Amino acid sequence: MTLSNRNRRIVTYFVRYWPSFIFGAVFLLATNYLGLLIPGHIGDAISTMQAQGISAESVLEACKEHALAIILFSIGAGIARVVSRVQIFNAGRLIEFDVRNELYERLTRLSPSWFGTMATGDLTSRVSNDVNFIRLLYAISFLHIVNTITAYFIALSKMLPLDWELTLICLGPFPVILFATRFIIRALFNQTKIVQAELSNLSSQVQQNLSGVAIVRAYAMEKREKAEFATINDAFVEANIKLISIRGAMQATMTLLAGIGTLAVLYVGAHRVVDNSLTLGQFVEFNGYVVALAFPTIGLGWVFSVWNRGVAAFDRVLDILDAPVDIVDPSDELRLPNHDGPKGSIEFSHVSFGYSEDQPILHDISLSIPAGSTVAIVGRTGSGKTTLARLISRLWDPSQGTIKIDGENLTALSLREARSEIGVVPQDPFLFSMSIENNVRFGLDSLENDPTLHRDAPQLSLGSRDQLTRREQVLQALKIAGLDEDLKTLAKGIDTMVGERGVTLSGGQKQRVTIARALIMDPRILILDDALASVDTRTENVILDHLDRIMENRTCIIITHRFNALARVDRIFVIDEGRIVETGTHNDLLNSGGIYSELCERQKLKEELEL
Amino acid sequence: MSDKKPTGMGSTFGESKVADMSELTVVRRLWKYLRPYRGMFILSLAMLPVISGVQLLQPYLLQIAIDEYIVPRDLTGFHLIVLAFAACVVSQGILQFVQVWVMQTAGQRALRDLRQTVFDHVQSLSVHFFQRQPLGRLMARLTTDIESLQEALASGMVTMIGDLFTLSAIVVILLYKDWRFALASFVVVPFLIALTAVFRHFMRKAFREVRTKVSRLYSHLQESVAGMQVIQLFVREKISGQEYRDINVEYRDANFMAIRFDAMLYAVVEAVGSVTVGVIIWYGSGAVMRDIVTLGVLVAFIEYMQKFFVPIRDLAQKYNFLQAAIVASERVFELLDETDRLPVVESPRTIDEGPLEIEFDDVCFSYLPGEPVLKNVSLRIRPNEKVALVGHTGSGKSTIVQLLLRLRDPDSGVIRVNGVDIKEFDPIAYRRRFAVVMQDSFLFQGTIRQNITLDDPEVSDEAVLDAARCVHVEKLASRYSDGFEHLVGERGEHLSSGERQLVSFARAVAHRPEVLVLDEATANVDSETEALIQDAVETMMSRQTSVVIAHRLSTIQNANRIIVLHRGEILEDGTHEELLAAGGHYSTLHRLQYREAS
Repeated sequence: MTLSNRNRRIVTYFVRYWPSFIFGAVFLLATNYLGLLIPGHIGDAISTMQAQGISAESVLEACKEHALAIILFSIGAGIARVVSRVQIFNAGRLIEFDVRNELYERLTRLSPSWFGTMATGDLTSRVSNDVNFIRLLYAISFLHIVNTITAYFIALSKMLPLDWELTLICLGPFPVILFATRFIIRALFNQTKIVQAELSNLSSQVQQNLSGVAIVRAYAMEKREKAEFATINDAFVEANIKLISIRGAMQATMTLLAGIGTLAVLYVGAHRVVDNSLTLGQFVEFNGYVVALAFPTIGLGWVFSVWNRGVAAFDRVLDILDAPVDIVDPSDELRLPNHDGPKGSIEFSHVSFGYSEDQPILHDISLSIPAGSTVAIVGRTGSGKTTLARLISRLWDPSQGTIKIDGENLTALSLREARSEIGVVPQDPFLFSMSIENNVRFGLDSLENDPTLHRDAPQLSLGSRDQLTRREQVLQALKIAGLDEDLKTLAKGIDTMVGERGVTLSGGQKQRVTIARALIMDPRILILDDALASVDTRTENVILDHLDRIMENRTCIIITHRFNALARVDRIFVIDEGRIVETGTHNDLLNSGGIYSELCERQKLKEELEL
Repeated sequence: MSDKKPTGMGSTFGESKVADMSELTVVRRLWKYLRPYRGMFILSLAMLPVISGVQLLQPYLLQIAIDEYIVPRDLTGFHLIVLAFAACVVSQGILQFVQVWVMQTAGQRALRDLRQTVFDHVQSLSVHFFQRQPLGRLMARLTTDIESLQEALASGMVTMIGDLFTLSAIVVILLYKDWRFALASFVVVPFLIALTAVFRHFMRKAFREVRTKVSRLYSHLQESVAGMQVIQLFVREKISGQEYRDINVEYRDANFMAIRFDAMLYAVVEAVGSVTVGVIIWYGSGAVMRDIVTLGVLVAFIEYMQKFFVPIRDLAQKYNFLQAAIVASERVFELLDETDRLPVVESPRTIDEGPLEIEFDDVCFSYLPGEPVLKNVSLRIRPNEKVALVGHTGSGKSTIVQLLLRLRDPDSGVIRVNGVDIKEFDPIAYRRRFAVVMQDSFLFQGTIRQNITLDDPEVSDEAVLDAARCVHVEKLASRYSDGFEHLVGERGEHLSSGERQLVSFARAVAHRPEVLVLDEATANVDSETEALIQDAVETMMSRQTSVVIAHRLSTIQNANRIIVLHRGEILEDGTHEELLAAGGHYSTLHRLQYREAS
């Protein structure tokens, strides 16, 4: 039998915790075994009471023994029940625990291109709701399947010797009805998928609304947002009601199924007792078994719904767990060469790239940035500047061509080791809900605490020969990033908490924290991707002055729209429509009269207009 | 490894203390949402005794079968009993289905209303509120918390009422049949009640723990996903993974605790039910021998007692769901009780058509107590004036815009539009007169067109096209085969920040505002595009009042008045020439700016 990928994965988790499941199953068996001893004793007790020619004392004595046996078995069954439930439910939680961790681990390896394909709301819904459904798939389904099988097996082994004909009459309709419920099961499966998709939709909508709250308010979109939410909310609820109806039909069928058994015992059994082929005690005993089977039968209905929901959830979770990791970390541990002197040379040869096939962004880029130099990349919006930077930090890999850092092919280098030496300050200054200090230490913490990273945490402070404590280093990095003045206005200084998205800081302040975060890593390449855009010119100059001093021996790439920084850099690359159109120093380019000089000219003109 | 453990994301946001509402309060508040569906709700409740009835008739029919037909060995008329029994079984199945369907439909609709109320409520909360709340936590309120209410509902929590009915009916029936025998059967019940009370305490604690942990798990994940690029670039994957794992361990262990109590309670109740059967046999054998009760009654007693403990056993299960639901409801209601919103007057005044005159009168504001951001700011912006706000980062420019749009209210002082305090207007109607381009250009999941119109039916196709042409979004859209219908990612992932800004420009232009507000909007746009946008902005500025925030002087060249802010105070106010001539703060700024380009 060949298993689909999903089913194989379902089995894998099961196998991982098989001792718990088996242990649980054994105790479940014990529970059912002990529990199903009870109807026999009830039957025997009744037979004794009815028996002729025995003294009342011995009847009472026998009944007392039966009663004691029943009490004993009950307690035993109860204890076994606790063990079985704890084992099986814990196994479910352990699987949930693993799936969550594996999901998180996979998410940390997936590239931005993958995240672009899935809305955050959808993603979080999969990681929270669907993982729960997977747990129930294991815990509830397994419990009920084993419970039903063992209960039936044990009950049948007792019912058949008593009266096999009656047994067949009681349980005969089962296969027929179960067969007929197949279509309910299919409907259940389909509806479950619909409900889960609607739920995901709902989460997405909420997430969008909450993250865009500023726009929602400013453009007075509240009414439309409410209306849209109402539509999605309605669709979700109606889908849910439909699901519940199907589930209800399933339950009703199972209840009827259990009822039919009791009915058969009553009708046929009564005749048997009158015929003397069954004693009254046996009749009661038989009835006891049928009653005991009612709950496992109803439980089977649960299994169907939980199973289907779990399998649908499993598919959705596998979309993440099996998502291809397109930025591959080569297994060999090739790291950037360590030597004194300038580091961080970058070489692009014939690099082409597009976010999608039909939309090329970079065409055949070849450029070389010498170690220790400071270069700028300028160009219009959408010309490919940021993309170029993203290729250096390997957020994407080029579709053609190679990139070398200090002579090593970037894709051959250990991914994380390489990234730890490339300090990126992205356009969007994203901060985490931690103190400013912890945000600055964000990458340094990794170097200090992650044993899988071999690079030592930089010990020497930036630009100074003294050994500094970590906190002093944070302060220094913030000073270089030009935030020291602002820190004085914050009551708690670097211990100030930053809101979930760093909202209590201004855009410029956030940008400077992200600069410090990159600097403290002591990177050999520093990439400032429009990182000073929200900082005023005076602060920008202060930061650039600081950087000049400490970037000696390091390579610095400045992507900018502002010309303030350009006179300082060693070399400027002008990029237009994905191609390098000009290269040179500020003065070279000004004199050559190309695009750059045109851009500068325009800027100058504007300044003159103001005079 | 350093011994100092890094402080992880999400760790700073411990779950806020949940308002300890009594269960009664919670139920009463939930009832408010159920009220509109009370017809269906009451119908389904009314069905519960009927269901109990047909269920409890079954042992009675069995008793009659044994005592009057089987023991006397005379089956004349027995088929009537069997038919009655069959009727009970079938109607039980059908009634249960109908009852569940009616209850669920009412419940689901009530929850839909609750969800909508919470969503609507959140729309009315101030922007300030969102800055204090992690997105993940708010998300959880609107999704998982209401989900757990739904789960509780689906688990048949409400049928507990039916169960209680069944229980009391059994007690009455048994007492009626034979009170001594009944008392003997109930001998273990007090023990059970005491035990349940103890378990209830522990389970409540365990479930609270679980909810708190799940909330942290959710927060951490939410933040990780949002900042995944930063995590990867700063090689924090393993550390963040470990943080998540640690929270996950706590969550798992809290669940283990809950499972233990749950399993014990379940098993104890079940065992007690079976023990009772033993007690019945013990006591009953004597009673039967002395002819106090018949065999049929004995069998019926056993059946009744079994039916007695099944609901009690499930009661424990349902109680778990109820606990989770109550905790979830508390959190939801806590959010609904959040009053951090701007007060809206009872009968808002309508705003005059046409251009607006804006006045700040002695306005003070601070985000945090003791850290004033604006100090006694007074300014007047006349209709059709184009005002530029200039100043260093943190000088209070953005705050002025926030106050102007009434995203916040000043601590003191008044802001007037056409002479009327803006608090007198309906904020939504008021804001409609403005169009803003924010620092952070947020794009919604949707097409470029939707991001321009924001689904506002009042924004015509012409306006979209006109605006797109104005700010060169048309060119951007033409890059894609589907043009304006091109889907842009959640945060405009495949657009550069400059392009995202272009789209938010088009958004502002298309809404044809009376006051245009640009908040540092040109920071990320290159000079060429900026020149084109400024051209468009200039056309637009000529039509209405405009307030522009910019660091660079080039972006404010179209303004006919410049206000220089410094540390929350207005330092200078005048035309470009006046301020240059004054030789103050502005002229210094300008000199710096001029140097950069030369």
